[in-house]
Amino acid sequence: MTTYIYGIAHADHPAPEKPVLGVGDPPRPVRIIRAGELAAVVSDCPDGLRPKRRDLLAHQHVLTETGNAGAVLPLRFGSLSTDDDAVRGALGEHTEHYKTQLAELTGRVEFNVKAAHREEAVLRLVVDDEPEVRRLTEALQASGGGDYPERVQLGELVANAVRAREVHDAHTVERALAPLAEQSAPGPEGTGWLVNLSFLLPRTETAPFTEAAHRLAEEQPQLELLVNGPLPPYSFVRPAQPAAEHASRG
Amino acid sequence: MTVVPAQQEGGSRGGGGTSGLYDVLELVLDRGLVIDAFVRVSLVGIEILKIDVRVVVASVDTYLRFAEACNRLDLESGPKKEPGLPDLVGEITESGARGKSKGALSGAAETFADAIGQGREAASGRSGDEEPRRPRRTATSSRKKEES
Repeated sequence: MTTYIYGIAHADHPAPEKPVLGVGDPPRPVRIIRAGELAAVVSDCPDGLRPKRRDLLAHQHVLTETGNAGAVLPLRFGSLSTDDDAVRGALGEHTEHYKTQLAELTGRVEFNVKAAHREEAVLRLVVDDEPEVRRLTEALQASGGGDYPERVQLGELVANAVRAREVHDAHTVERALAPLAEQSAPGPEGTGWLVNLSFLLPRTETAPFTEAAHRLAEEQPQLELLVNGPLPPYSFVRPAQPAAEHASRG
Repeated sequence: MTVVPAQQEGGSRGGGGTSGLYDVLELVLDRGLVIDAFVRVSLVGIEILKIDVRVVVASVDTYLRFAEACNRLDLESGPKKEPGLPDLVGEITESGARGKSKGALSGAAETFADAIGQGREAASGRSGDEEPRRPRRTATSSRKKEES
C-alpha cells in the first residue's frame, strides 16, 4: 500500500483530536507514524494521484491542521513511499537534521507576499517620471494615436520603464517587510508577479507584519499587494545533506 | 491590499476555507521539503506556470499594448490626481483589479488558472462563492471600463 507523506514532526506530536482528511476521493484519513524521535504525518495514497486542485488543497489542509498542534516540516506535494515501514526507515536517516529544523520552526508560520502593478497607476508614474515618455505620449494623443513606428517606440520605452519600476518596487516591498520577519525567502519565479517573497514569523506575533503590509499598500498605491498567511513554513525547510557530500564540501 | 487568511476550518475539509490556496499553489508545488527516499507524483501539465514574464514583456505586441494604454491615459487630469485604483473591498472587485493590473505584463496567472481549472470547476459545486476569485481579465477589465 503506497503511503502519502505530508510532513515530519516530533515523535510526541499529538494525534489529531478530530479526524483529518487527506488526499484522494474519498479522502483518506490522516494518521501519524512514529519512529524513534520523529513522526511522519501520512495517509494511504490513492491510485493515480495527480496534482488536482482537490488534492493540493488536502495537502495544505492537513499541514495546517496538524501544524496547529506542533511543528511540522511540510513536504512538497506528492511525496510517496512504498509503505509505512519505508517511511520509518527514511525518518531514521537524518534524524538530527529534522530535529534541528523542527526546533527552528516551532511556533513559526510563513506569510507569502506577492505584488503586481496596477497598470494605469504604474503607467501614470512612468509618464510623470520620464520626460521622454510624457512627450511621446502627448504627441501620440495629439496625432490621434500615432503611426506604427511611433507606437512601437513609445511602447518599448514604457515597457522598459515599467520593468525598471518592477525591480524598484520589488526592493521597496522587501525593505518594508523583511525587517519584521525572522527570515525571508524568495518564492518561485515566473509566476507573473513582480515580487513573490515568503517571510517567517512567530505564530503569535504576526500583527506588526500585517500592519506594515497594510501601510505599504497605502503608501504604494500602484501596487496590488496580496498577503497570504499564516501558512505552513514551506519556504523555510532545508533538505538534509547526504553525509558523504556534506563531509566532502567541508 | 488583500490579506487572505489561511483556511481555519477544523475536522473535515469540505466546504469553505479554500480562499487563498489558489494564490499559494506554487508554494505547495515548488517549496516544501523533498526527501530523497520518497518518490514524487508527476507534475506534468502543471509546469506551464513557469513562464518567463520578461519574454512576454519584450515583444512588439506588448509595446503596442503599452502605447495603446498610454494613448488612453488622461494626461490633463494631472499627475497626482488619483494615483491608483482605490483600495478595493470584496472578492469580485479584487479579482478584477488584479486581472487588470497584470493585464499587460503576463498571461501566466491565467495559464496557471487554466492548468488547474479542471479541478477548480469540479470543486465549484461544493462551494459556490469561490468562483469569482479566479482571475478573469477579459470580463472584469471590460466591466471596469464601463464603470469609469
